[in-house]
Amino acid sequence: MTQSPLLKVRDLTTSFFTSRGEVQAVRGVDFDIHAGEVLGIVGESGSGKSITCMSVLRLLKNNGRTIKGTAHFEGRDLLELSELEMRRLRGNDVAMIFQDPMTSLNPTLTVGEQIIETIIAHKNISRSAARERVVELFELVKIPEAASRLGAYPHEFSGGMRQRVMIAMALSCDPKLLIADEPTTALDVTIQRQILLLLKEIQSRLGMAIILITHDLGVIAEVTDRILVMYGGTAMETANVHHLFDKPMHPYTQGLLASVPNVNNIDGEKLKPIPGSPPDMLRPPKGCPFMPRCDKAMEICVTTGAPEFEIDDAQSHKSRCWLHHPDAPQQKGDAA
Amino acid sequence: MLAYFAKRIGMMVVTLFLIITLTFFLMHAIPGGPFTSEKMLAPEIEEALNAKYGLNDPLWVQYLNYLKGIITLDLGPSFKYPGIRVNDLILDGLPVTAKTGFLALLCVAALGIPLGILAALNQNKWQDTAVMMLATVGVAIPSYVVATVALYIFALQLNLVPTFGLDDWRGYILPVAALSGFWLSFIARLSRSSLLEVLGQDYIVTAKAKGLHPLSILFKHGLRNALIPIVTVLGPVVANLLTGSFVIEQIFALPGIGRHFVLSISNRDYTTIMGITIFYAAFLMVMILIVDILYMLLDPRIKLADRNK
Amino acid sequence: MNNLNQKIDPQQWAPAKVDAGEAEFIAAPSLTFWQDVRSRLWQNRPAMFSLAFIILLVAAAIFGPMISRHTYFDQDLKLSNIPPILQLYEVQNEGQAATYFFLNSGNFKLYETTEDGELKSILRAKRKDLINKRHIYEFGERRIFVDYSTLPARIVDADENAIDAYGTKWNKTYWFGTDSLGRDVLVRQLYGARISLTVAFIATLVNFFIGIFYGGVAGYFGGNVDNIMMRIVEVIATIPLTLYVILMMVVLQSGFISIIVAIGTVFWVDMARIVRGQMLTLKNQDYVDAAKTMGASTWHILTRHLLPNSIGPILVTLTLLIPSAIFIESFMSFIGLGVSVPMASWGTLTSEAVETLRSYPYQLFFPAAAISLTMFAFNFLGDGLRDALDPRLRK
Repeated sequence: MTQSPLLKVRDLTTSFFTSRGEVQAVRGVDFDIHAGEVLGIVGESGSGKSITCMSVLRLLKNNGRTIKGTAHFEGRDLLELSELEMRRLRGNDVAMIFQDPMTSLNPTLTVGEQIIETIIAHKNISRSAARERVVELFELVKIPEAASRLGAYPHEFSGGMRQRVMIAMALSCDPKLLIADEPTTALDVTIQRQILLLLKEIQSRLGMAIILITHDLGVIAEVTDRILVMYGGTAMETANVHHLFDKPMHPYTQGLLASVPNVNNIDGEKLKPIPGSPPDMLRPPKGCPFMPRCDKAMEICVTTGAPEFEIDDAQSHKSRCWLHHPDAPQQKGDAA
Repeated sequence: MLAYFAKRIGMMVVTLFLIITLTFFLMHAIPGGPFTSEKMLAPEIEEALNAKYGLNDPLWVQYLNYLKGIITLDLGPSFKYPGIRVNDLILDGLPVTAKTGFLALLCVAALGIPLGILAALNQNKWQDTAVMMLATVGVAIPSYVVATVALYIFALQLNLVPTFGLDDWRGYILPVAALSGFWLSFIARLSRSSLLEVLGQDYIVTAKAKGLHPLSILFKHGLRNALIPIVTVLGPVVANLLTGSFVIEQIFALPGIGRHFVLSISNRDYTTIMGITIFYAAFLMVMILIVDILYMLLDPRIKLADRNK
Repeated sequence: MNNLNQKIDPQQWAPAKVDAGEAEFIAAPSLTFWQDVRSRLWQNRPAMFSLAFIILLVAAAIFGPMISRHTYFDQDLKLSNIPPILQLYEVQNEGQAATYFFLNSGNFKLYETTEDGELKSILRAKRKDLINKRHIYEFGERRIFVDYSTLPARIVDADENAIDAYGTKWNKTYWFGTDSLGRDVLVRQLYGARISLTVAFIATLVNFFIGIFYGGVAGYFGGNVDNIMMRIVEVIATIPLTLYVILMMVVLQSGFISIIVAIGTVFWVDMARIVRGQMLTLKNQDYVDAAKTMGASTWHILTRHLLPNSIGPILVTLTLLIPSAIFIESFMSFIGLGVSVPMASWGTLTSEAVETLRSYPYQLFFPAAAISLTMFAFNFLGDGLRDALDPRLRK
C-alpha cells in the first residue's frame, strides 16, 4: 500500500482504573485502515476491541484512560487534539454506530431532531435544509415513509429500524470513517443480515472506510476486506479476509475458526471449543495472553509476548506468535 | 389526550369523594358530640347547639348535607368559632401558607436542582462531597429541630431576624429555610443521582460521538431526561411542604392554614379539621395532575402508552 | 520490530509446562452476593458507625431506664431546670468543711453540691432583694450575693468583689440535667429512645407483614387483582401520610397506642408499591418460568425465587421508611398529638425545650441531638446498604 492510511494506530494502550485495580483493557494495539476499506475487528467479549475504538475517539468513561500510543487520522494524532478539534471531528469525519439501538438513542427526542442536531453541529446549513437531508438519509437507509417518521420517537421504531436510524445519524455528515461497534448483536438474526448488507451497500455507494467490530465470524467474512483478530487487549493476527480464513497462522485464530460452524467445511468435523477462559485483565499474563489456553505454548510464551511477524505482505498478513520465528520448531500439520 | 385527562379527572373526583366520605365518618366515629367535652355547657344549651348544627339528624342526612355543601364549595360552620365558617378560616390562612409554601417550593427547585447538578458534574470532587454532606444533614435533621435551633441562634441570640411574624422580608427567611430544608436536600440528592444515571446512559455516549457541544449534551440530552424523576416527586413535595407548614407555622407563630389546622385539632373543632383535610386533599390532587401534565410534556413515552390504550 | 530475528535461547522453544488448572484460573476469590454485600458494607465507615450507634441506642433504651435511679415521671420541683454542666463555687468556713454550690443562671438560685458535682439540695436565700436584683445567702459567718442586675448573673462577696468559679463539673446526679418539673432528662431521653425505636420496630413489622405481602400478592397475580389492590393503594397514597396520621390521632385520641395504630395502618403503602414493582419485573424472568416448568408451587416460587431476589430494594426501602416513621412520631408529639404526659418522646421533649428556650436554651440540645443523630444513623446505614447492594450507584 503506497498511500498513507486513513487511520494509523500505534501501540495504543488503555486501562480502566477501578476500585479493584487497573484493568489493562488494551495493551499496545497497532493497526491501519485505508480510505474506502472495511476492516473487521473480531475477538471474544472483553478482548478490547470496543475499547480500542472508544480510545481512538476518546469516548472512554471516567475511569478509563489511554496511557500511551498514537492514533493518526489523516496525519493528525487524535490523542493529541484539543477537545474542541476532537468535537469537530466526531460525528463529522469519524462517526460511530453502537451495539444497542434500544439504548443508544435518546428516548425523549424525536429521531429527526437527533439527526438534525448532528448536522447543524457540523455543517453550516439551515434547519430546513438539515431536515431535507434527514429525509434523504432515511431513504438511503430504507426507512419506509421517511418524511413522516421524522417526528417519531425512538420507542415507536422496531430494533432494526432504530439501527437504521443510528446508521442514518452516523452518515449524516458524510464521514470518512465509520466505526460500527457490534451493530447487529442486539438484533434478531433475520434483521442482522439486512443491516449488514445495508452497511455494505452504503459503503460501496459512498466509499467511506468502515471499522466493523464483531465477535461473529460469519458476519465478518461477508462484509469486510480485512480482519484484525484481538485477544487479551492485543492484536493477534491481521490479514485480508479470505486469506485469513484460508490460512490462519496464529493458534488463537486457528482455534477461533475451528470453534465456529463453517459452511465451506462440511466434512463432518466436530467443532472444537478453545479450552479455558479469557485472561483476567486485572492481572494479565506476563507473556503471550493466549499462552494459558494455547496447546502449542512454549517456554518463551510464558515470559515474553511475541513480536509481530510479517507472514505475507501481499495479503497484509501479520501475526503475533513465536511459532513464526525462524528458529521455532516446526509444527506438525501446520499449513505455513 | 383529552380522553386521558377526562379519565384522570374522573378518577380524581372518585378519590376525593372517597376521602370526604372517609373523613366524615372518621370524624363522626369519635365518641361524644363536639360539644360534650365542654363541661360548662348546660344540657339544654348543648341540645340547642346540636339542633343548630343539625347534629340530631340521622348520620346519613348529615352526610348528604355535607356533600351538598361541598358541591357548592361550602365546608360548613366552625364548631368553635361561632359565626365563622371553615371557608373563612381557610381563606384567612391561605395567603400566608401559600406565600411561604411557594417560596419554599421555589427554594427547593431553584437551589436543590442546581446543587444536585453541581455535585453530579463534579462527582467525587470537593463540590460533590460538600453538597452531599449538606444534603445528608438536611435529610436527617427534622424540620422542627432545624426551625427551633435556627430560631434560637438567628432570632434570639444574633437578633438577625424577627422571632415571629412576617412583617418584612427577613421574617420569611427562617420559616422558608426550615420548611424547604428537607426537600431541598432530598431534591439535591435525587438530581445528583438522576443526572449521574442519565449521564451514564448509552445515548449520552452517542451524543458525544456525534460531536455535540458539551452544553448541548448536558442540557438537551442530560438534564431533560434527568428532570423526569424529579418532576414526578414534585407532587409529593408540595404535599409535604403543606404538612410541614403545620409545625413551622406553629414555631414561628405564622397565621396560616397549618396553624388553624393544629389549633382546630387541639380545640377538637371537627368541621374545621374535616374541611381543611378535604381542602388539602383536593389541592394535592390538582398538584399531582399538574405534575402529570408536566411529566407528559417531558417524556414522550408516556403519550404512547396513552395512545395504545 | 527489532527483535524479529534476535537469537533466542533454544531452551525457550521447549513446550511450556502449563498447569492443567491454570487455564481455568480465576484471579479473585469468588464471593457470594451476600458476602460481597457484607464486605462492602463493612468497608463503609459511616454506615458501620451508624450501625454501632443504633445497637448502642437499642441497648441504652432497653437497659438504661432499668439501672437508672430516676424515673421518667418523678418530679422534684425544688431541683428543676438543673443544667448538666455545673459551674461550682466554693465557700470556706472557719473550722468547717468547705461548702460547694453552683449558680443556676436561668433562675439565679444556688444549689449545694459535693466537691465533685453530686447534687445535694437547693440553698435557701436569706433574703431576696428584688429592687437591687440580688439574692443574699449566708454560709455561717460569710455572706454571699447573687447579683443579677446585669446579665449574666454573678456571685459577689460582701465587698462587691466577684467570686470566681472554683471549677466546672459534670452533674453527677442528673447527667443530662433536669427539666422544668425537675425530672431527670437522661432517663426521659431514654424513654424517648424506647418510643422512637418501638415505632421503628412497628414500622418494620408492618412493612414486612402487610407491605411485602400486599405488594407481593398484587404483583404476583397481576391482572384484576393487581388493578383493584393498587387502586386502593393509590387512594391511600393520595392523602399525605402526616395528614392521615393526624386524622387517626384525632379520632383515636392521642397516646402511644394510637400512634402505633396510626402508623401501622398506612405505613406499608410505599413498601407495597416497591415490592409489587419488583414482582412484576421478576416474575417474567426466565428462572421463574424455569421453576414453573419444573412444577414448583406458587408458594415455593414466591418464597424461594421472588422474595429473595427483591430483598435488596426491600431492605433499602425499609431503611428509608424507619427514619420516616421515627420522624412522624416525633413530629406528632411535637405538635402535641403524640404520646401523652408524663410519657416522654423526643418530639415532646423538643417542644418542652422550646417553651423554656429563652432561659434554658441547652435543654433543646439533648432531644434535638438525639433525634438528629438517630435520623443520621438510619440514613447513613440506608445509604451504605444501598451502595453495598448496588455498587453501580457508588462508583
